[in-house]
Amino acid sequence: MAGERPIKFRLLELFSDEKEHWNNEIVTQMQKEYNMNSNFGRDSLNFDILELASGGMLKSVESKVDEDGVYKKGFLLHKYVITDFGKVRASDACLEYV
Amino acid sequence: MDIQELRKLEIKKRVNKGYMWALFTAVLWALWYVPGTIIWAIPPFDAMWYDLALPDYSNATTATMMCAVLITAFNALTVIIALLVWNGVLGKFGEIKRTLKELHPCSKWFFAASMFGGPVAILGAFMAIGFIGPAFGAVSALLYPVAGSILAYFWYGEKISKRAAIGIFVIIIGGVTIFGGGIMAELGTGSVAWLGYVGGLMCALGWGIEGAIAGKGLDIAEPDVGITIRFLGENIIWWLIIIPIVALAGYPIVEYAIAALNPLSILVLSFAGISFGYCYVAWYKSFPLVGVARGQGVANLYAIFVVMFLYLFLAQVPAWTILVGGALCVLGSFVMISEETGEMESLRGE
Repeated sequence: MAGERPIKFRLLELFSDEKEHWNNEIVTQMQKEYNMNSNFGRDSLNFDILELASGGMLKSVESKVDEDGVYKKGFLLHKYVITDFGKVRASDACLEYV
Repeated sequence: MDIQELRKLEIKKRVNKGYMWALFTAVLWALWYVPGTIIWAIPPFDAMWYDLALPDYSNATTATMMCAVLITAFNALTVIIALLVWNGVLGKFGEIKRTLKELHPCSKWFFAASMFGGPVAILGAFMAIGFIGPAFGAVSALLYPVAGSILAYFWYGEKISKRAAIGIFVIIIGGVTIFGGGIMAELGTGSVAWLGYVGGLMCALGWGIEGAIAGKGLDIAEPDVGITIRFLGENIIWWLIIIPIVALAGYPIVEYAIAALNPLSILVLSFAGISFGYCYVAWYKSFPLVGVARGQGVANLYAIFVVMFLYLFLAQVPAWTILVGGALCVLGSFVMISEETGEMESLRGE
């Protein structure tokens, strides 16, 4: 069942629990679901999250430097949460939104 | 460096990337006017015009329109080929399929965008080139941010700030100079190429409306995929709807379409497809990063490049009204985009 909806739909769906998620955790999960295991796939998924944040559908609530290299050493990790506008767009996309 | 500084740096990088894409758009867009102008003189399009216009040139207008329709249709075809290559390299065919299936929430916006982008804006561009000339065609399209902002105002209730309003006003003055200057000069000679001016307005309206509509779909789709679906829509409109209708109306358009499959015309059309296709990719990629208004504003620098390229490649010097009007439009775009100096973490306010 996984990997059947467009990537950004699925990203909004993952955030629609209204909980905060770290970008690296979401990217790792998406990489498995969409079989995008290369570095290119990883960066491309992360960029989709960035575009959603830039479009105001997600907002970053916390950041930390990736000291241990869990994602990309020396880069910033962000914790995101869905915004009200994100919820509206997610429900436009017919996501089950509780 | 502390976290806050790193965050600021990250945002700055993102915004710079957006502006870089917008600048690529400007250069590629301007390059497109070179093959877009040359193609009219390439077989079969040159012969097509004479065949339809002769014996006494009473059908010259129909001939130019038919050429514009066929050239726009082929432009859409070569653009979609360039875009499919692009998506193939990026491994995004799967995502195209997934997005296409979501017709109701997502891809309908791209199909709607293709109606305004294709038969209105791009056909308008070729009409302006065909009836008047490439410099006029290019510069008249500069009015499109005006159409885009006014639509956003009425549709999404997006506020137009005082500064943006001043920018729009400067662009409109520029537009009046471009259109007015040309019409005045032609009134003196007694024949005004009205359809060319209509084409110029079609560009401005079509591209403005397309930007506003596509923005709705782009929120929840990948830009590379979105633009491909938009051109898929345009190809359907041309090759399955308009060309058959024109053929049924008795025009020999299919014969000329087949005749266009010669090496020289394929070469020129491929250049048009590559420059236009990647121009659109860069355009759509800049929107999520810096916003539609800023993306369009920077992309408007294309007018300067067009004047340069037309001079370099085709030795054409545009009329002074086009130069002055174009300069006003670019100035107005800068007034519009230089508005916010604050941090742009998100393009939309909370």
